[in-house]
Amino acid sequence: MKYAFFPGCTMAYRLQFAEKSIRMVVPKFDIDLVDLPFTCCPEPNAVRALSDETWLTFAARNIALAEAEGLNILTACAGCHESLSMAKHELDRKPEKKNKVNSILKDLGLEYKGISTITHVHQLLFDEIGIETISSKVTRPVPIKVVTHTGCHLLRPERVLHVDNAEVPVKLDLLCEALGMEPLDYMDKTMCCGAGVRKTNSVTSYAVLREKMTSMEMVEPDAVVVFCPTCFVTFESGQKVANRIFGTDFKFPVFYYTELLAIAMDIPETDLLLAEHRVKLDLPKRDETKKEAEMDMGDSIASSP
Amino acid sequence: MTTSDSKGSSAGPSEIEVVSTGPELRIGVFPCKCGKNIGAVVDIDAVAEYAKTLPGVVHVQVNVYTCADPGQREIQEAIAEHGLNRIVVASCSPTMHEDTFRKTVKAAGLNPYLCIMANIREHVSWVHQHNHEAATQKAKDLVAMAVAKAATLEAQPELDVPVTQAALVVGAGVAGMQAALDLAEAGFKVHLIEKQPTIGGIMAILDKVFPQNDCSICILGPKMVDVAKHPNINMITMAEVESISGYVGNFEVRVKQRPRYVNIDACTSCGDCVEVCPVDVPSRTDQSLTWQKAIQIPFPQAVPSSYFIDPEACLGMDLIRCGKCIDRCEQEAIVPSDRPKYIDLDVGVIILATGFKPADPSKIPRLGWGRYPNVITSLEFERLINAAGPTEGSLVRPSDLTKPTSVAIAQCVGSRDINTRSGCSNFCCAESVKCALLIKEHYPDTEVSIFYQDLRMHGKYFEDQYQKAREEGVKFIRGRVGEIQQYPKTKNLRVSVEDTTHNKLLMEDFDMVILSMGAEGIAGNFPLPISCTHDSFYIESHPKLRPVDTSSAGVFICGGAESPKDIRDSVIQASAAAGRAAIILQKGRYPIEALSAKILQDLCSRCGTCVQRCPYGAISQDGTGKFTVMGALCQACGTCAGDCPQDAIYMPNFTSEQIESQIDIALQEDPGNKIVAFACAFCSYRGSDLAGVSRMQYPTNARVIRAMCSGRYSTKFAQRAFEIGAGAVLYSGCHLPADCHFQTGNHWMAKREPRIRGWMKRNGIEDERFRVEWVSAGEGKKWQTIMTELSEVVKTPRKDIVKPKRAIDSKSKKSVKTKTGSKPKSGSEKKQKPKKKVSSSKSEAGKKKPAKRK
Amino acid sequence: MGDNTQDQLLKDLKERARPCFQCGICTSSCPVFRVAPELNPRLSVDSIITRGVVPREGNEWLCAYCLMCDQRCPMGVSLAEILMEIKNISAREGKAPPDVIEAALSLMQDGCLSPISSRSEKIRTELGLPDLPKAEPADVLKLFKATGALEVLETNKAAQEEASE
Repeated sequence: MKYAFFPGCTMAYRLQFAEKSIRMVVPKFDIDLVDLPFTCCPEPNAVRALSDETWLTFAARNIALAEAEGLNILTACAGCHESLSMAKHELDRKPEKKNKVNSILKDLGLEYKGISTITHVHQLLFDEIGIETISSKVTRPVPIKVVTHTGCHLLRPERVLHVDNAEVPVKLDLLCEALGMEPLDYMDKTMCCGAGVRKTNSVTSYAVLREKMTSMEMVEPDAVVVFCPTCFVTFESGQKVANRIFGTDFKFPVFYYTELLAIAMDIPETDLLLAEHRVKLDLPKRDETKKEAEMDMGDSIASSP
Repeated sequence: MTTSDSKGSSAGPSEIEVVSTGPELRIGVFPCKCGKNIGAVVDIDAVAEYAKTLPGVVHVQVNVYTCADPGQREIQEAIAEHGLNRIVVASCSPTMHEDTFRKTVKAAGLNPYLCIMANIREHVSWVHQHNHEAATQKAKDLVAMAVAKAATLEAQPELDVPVTQAALVVGAGVAGMQAALDLAEAGFKVHLIEKQPTIGGIMAILDKVFPQNDCSICILGPKMVDVAKHPNINMITMAEVESISGYVGNFEVRVKQRPRYVNIDACTSCGDCVEVCPVDVPSRTDQSLTWQKAIQIPFPQAVPSSYFIDPEACLGMDLIRCGKCIDRCEQEAIVPSDRPKYIDLDVGVIILATGFKPADPSKIPRLGWGRYPNVITSLEFERLINAAGPTEGSLVRPSDLTKPTSVAIAQCVGSRDINTRSGCSNFCCAESVKCALLIKEHYPDTEVSIFYQDLRMHGKYFEDQYQKAREEGVKFIRGRVGEIQQYPKTKNLRVSVEDTTHNKLLMEDFDMVILSMGAEGIAGNFPLPISCTHDSFYIESHPKLRPVDTSSAGVFICGGAESPKDIRDSVIQASAAAGRAAIILQKGRYPIEALSAKILQDLCSRCGTCVQRCPYGAISQDGTGKFTVMGALCQACGTCAGDCPQDAIYMPNFTSEQIESQIDIALQEDPGNKIVAFACAFCSYRGSDLAGVSRMQYPTNARVIRAMCSGRYSTKFAQRAFEIGAGAVLYSGCHLPADCHFQTGNHWMAKREPRIRGWMKRNGIEDERFRVEWVSAGEGKKWQTIMTELSEVVKTPRKDIVKPKRAIDSKSKKSVKTKTGSKPKSGSEKKQKPKKKVSSSKSEAGKKKPAKRK
Repeated sequence: MGDNTQDQLLKDLKERARPCFQCGICTSSCPVFRVAPELNPRLSVDSIITRGVVPREGNEWLCAYCLMCDQRCPMGVSLAEILMEIKNISAREGKAPPDVIEAALSLMQDGCLSPISSRSEKIRTELGLPDLPKAEPADVLKLFKATGALEVLETNKAAQEEASE
C-alpha cells in the first residue's frame, strides 16, 4: 500500500526521531511512503483562527496534491489529521465552498476532487493492520506501565473522525498492550494537553498541562504514550516549564507510539531515536525480556527428547 | 320510498336505510335568501329562474330561511309532492348545514347522500358585497355545478358492523391494569396481555412514589390482586400479541404465550426450588445489582403468585443436565414439557399500554455508568433503597458497601439530548427530588446535591416536595453535569459541572452519583400499523382533542407508551382510554363510513398504488390478488383515488366524474377569467368559509370545488381545467407536515405538484397559473390574499393556444334517464362504474385529444 | 468585507447558535475554563443569542480548540466553529494575539509554522530522513492573497505598531 506521507511541520522539523520511527516500522507492514510538497496542514489555531477560507484553501491544496498522484494521505500528527479531515468534510458537503476553493487552486494548477482519504498512523495500525498482526511481529516486548493520550484531534469530533470512542478511547491502550505494555486508566484521560492556547497565553496553556499531568501522576506511570508530535513536545518539554511556574515536579518520559513499536519489533538502531529524548527511560535490556526467556524455554522443551 | 335491500354484505352488517331512486332524474333546487345575508347581494329570484333551466331540475323553490323548521318542511313536502330524488340547497356552507339538510331529506325518506349544497353565502354574498351582478352570476355557476354533481349522486347505505363485546389490553403496568379494571367494572370482558411473568410493570419495583412518597408496591399490590381476581378479566402473562386481523368491532387476535415451566395453580411460592438451583443469573428486578436463580419469582408480591423458569439460564429440566428443582418441589409444580401456547381471541377494541423502558446510560459514556461502580441510575437507587432490594434498604456504595456521605444527582440524562432523545421525559425532576428526600430520610447527615438544567416540578403537590427538599438541606445547583471522573484508589467521583447561576466551575467530589434516567420509547413493532414518533412513542389521533385515540379506529393508547409520564398521569390516561373504548363497546354497533371508497375491479390494474396511499391500512390484497377496501377502516379521504392511474376508485359524492363535471360547468363561459379552486373540507374549505364569515372581500373569479381531503386532487383535475381554458387552478390543503385530518393526504397531494408543473411547462402554461397552498381553518386572511393574487393572474389572457376541450351547452333542458335505473346500491364493493349521460346532446364524455400546439 | 457579507455572517452565526439552551455542559467540559474562567463558551454563545452581538472581550483567543464542547453539546451546537468565527471577526479587526500573527507570517514565508533551522535539517540528515519537498513560496503567497489572509495580517501588523507607539 502506498500513501502520501504527511508528517506535519512539528514532526518533520522538531521531532525528527518520531518521523524516523514511522519510516522504520511501516515497511514491515508493506507500506510505502511518498513525499509530496505539502505545506503546513494548516494549523487551525494559527490559520483557521485568522481566516476560515485560508485554512480551507491550504488544506484543499494539500489534499489536491495527493489526489493528483492518486494517493491517500497518511497523517502522523493528530492536529494535521483533524485539520485535513474537517476540511475534507466541509468541502465534500458544501459545493459552494468547494467551487470557491477550486477557483483559487486552479491558479496553482490543482483541483480538489474529494477522492483521497485521510488516515492517521493510529488508524493504519489499529484498523487496517490490526492488533493480531502487530502482536505477531513483536519479538521484544516492552513491559512498562504507561498512560496513553490519544489526543483531542484524533478523537473529536467523533461524528466526523470515527477514530475511537471519544469519551472512552481504548484503541491506543490495546495497541500498547500488543507491545507488552500495561496501560493504566487515569482521570482526565481525554483532556487536552493545552497546546492550542499557548500562542495566546502561555501561562494558561501550562496551567492546563498541569491539570492533566496531576491526574497522570496519580497512577504513577513509567511513561506517557502519544500519537501527536505537538502533544509530545507539550508533555516532554512543557512539563519543565510547568514545573518552573507552578513548582510541580513532573518528569514523565514521553514516547510517540511507533518508537515503542520499533523497539518491540527489535528494529535496529532504535537507540538513535531515544537519544533525542529529553527525559530518558531505561527500557529493559535485550536479555532481560521475558518473552525471549520463554522462547528459550519453549525451544528446549521442544527439543528435549 | 324506503325499500329494504336484499343484498347484504358478507360480514352481516345491519342496514339502517337503503333507498331506491326512480329511473328519472328529478332534481329539486332550493335557493335560500338567508334573510338578508344572501338576498341583499345575490338576486336569488334570478338564480331560481336560472336553476329551472338546468338539466334534470324539475322543481325550484326559494326560501327565506331554509334551515328553519318551515324551510325544512317545505323541502320534505316538495320531495313527496314532486317525487324529487336529488336535492340541491343553495345557501350557506355545507360545513354549516350539510348535516341538517341530510337529516331533513332522510326524514322524508330520501337517502341523505343524495342531498348536497351550493355555497352562495360564505363563498359569494359575504365576500362579493360590492359587485351584485358578478356575485349573482357566480351564484348561478355554483348552482349549476351542484346540479351537475347531483345528477350522478348515488344513494349510499348507512351500514354498521356489530362490535364484539370484549376488549384487549396490551401491557399490564399500572396503565394497562387501570384500563382493564375500568372496562371490567363497566361490565365488559377484558383480555389483559402482559409480556413479563408478572403484572405491575415498572411501578411494582419502585420504592416510594411521589408526591406523597407512599410505598409503591403497597398501593399497587391490592390493585394487582383485584386484576387477577376480577371475573371479567382474563389475565395472560408471559404473552405477546403475535398477529391481529380485522377491524374495529371485529378484531381477531392471536396471542403467543411463552412456557412458564411451572404450573401456576400448583405453585405455592414456597421458594424451596431456589435453594437447590445451581444457576445464578443477574436479577432483572434488582437491575442486575444482585443475582437470582434460573427458577425465580420476580418479587414476592408478583401476580400471578408463581415461579417461572428462565429457559436460557436453566441448565436443563431433566435428570442428566440438572432437574434439581423438579426433585425438590413438593407440589410437583414444575412442568418440563411446557410449550408455547397460542390463544385466539375475538375483541371489539384494543388498548395499547405497553409502557416505556428506562433510558440506557451507556449511551452517555462521559458520565461513567458501567465503568465506575459508584455511578448508579435512578432505578438502581430505587432497588438499593427498597427494603425488598439487594441490600434490604441500605444505601451503600457498590464499590465497597460503605454508606455514602455525599450524593450527587444528575438531571436530564438520556433526555433533551440529540444523542438520545430530544424531548423531556416528564417525571425525572420529581423523581430526583423524591430520591433526595428518601436519602435524607434514611441518612440525614448525607449531603445531597441535585444538578439540574430546569427543575420541572409541574404536577400537583410537586412544588411542596421541592420546598421540603430545600428544608431538608438538599442543594440545588443549576448546571447540567458535563462529566464524571473516578478517583483510581477510592472510587470516589469527581463531578464537573458549571454553576451557571454564578458562572463558576464546580469540580466536586462525591461518594456516589445517581443519574436521573429519562425514558426510551419501545412502541412500534406491533402487528397493527399504529404510527409512532421517531423516538418510539405511539402517536395520538389529535394531541389536544383526541389524546388517547389513534388513527386506527378502535385502537387506543395510554400510559408510558403514548409519552413518558408519571403514575398519576398514566392512571388518568388509562381511564380515559377505557372510557373511549367503552363508548364503542357499549353502543354495540360501529358505523362504517357511508362514503367509503370502492375499487372498480374491471378497471383496476392491481398496481397496488392505493395500498400505499391509505394511512388507515384500509386497502388490502386478498389471496386471489384482488384489491378491496375495508369499509370499516376507510375514512373516505380519497387519496387512493387521487393517485389511481386507472381512475378505478369510486369515491361516493366525490367521484372523478362529479368533480370533472363541476370543472366543466365552472369553465363553460369565459374560462380564462376563472380560477378553479380545490379546497379540502377540514382546513382550506373552512378557511375559505372564515374569510366569508369575516366579510373579507375579494374578486369573483373563483369557483370552489370541495373534496374531503386534498389527497383527492388528482393531477387530472388540474390538467382538465387548463385544457378547457382555466385562467388559474388552486390546490389547497392542510398545512404540512402534520395538520391533515386524514394523516397524510396533503403530503401525497404535494408530491403531484412537480408532475403538474412539468405538464404545464411542456404545454407552455405559465407557472403562476397553478398554485399549491396550505390554508388552515383559521386562515381566512390567507384565503383572501390567494384569491386576490390569482385574480390578478387571470387578468392576463392565456398565451398558450390550448383550445377549449368541449362546449358545454347548459341551456338545453331535457328529461334525463339514468342508466343505473332502480337498483339500490348496497355496501358491496364490486360495482360497475355507472355511465351516466346527462343528456344525449352532451355526449362528449370521452376525452378528446388536445389540439396540436405550436 | 462589505456590510452585506458581515450581516450575512452574523445571521449565519445567530442561526448556528440558536439551538443553545444554556445547559452549561460545554463550559464544564472546557479545559481552559478550568484554569482561566474568562473563557466561558456558554456565555459567548449567550451573547450572540440574547443580545445578538458577537462578544468583544477577546476571550475567544483563549480557546485551545480541543473540541470537547463541540463533542458534548446536547443540542448539536458547533461551539468550536462558532468560537473560530468569533476569532475570525476579531482578527479582521486587528485584535489577534501577536504570537498567532507571527506563526501565520512564518507560514507565509516558509510554508511552515516555525522557521526551519539548519540544525533541524542536520538532524534529519543524521537520522537518514529524506529531504522533504517544499511548496513554492510564490504559491503560498498567492493563497494568502486570494483568501484575504494577507489583508488580515496587514491589519494586525498595523494595529500592533499603533499599540506599541
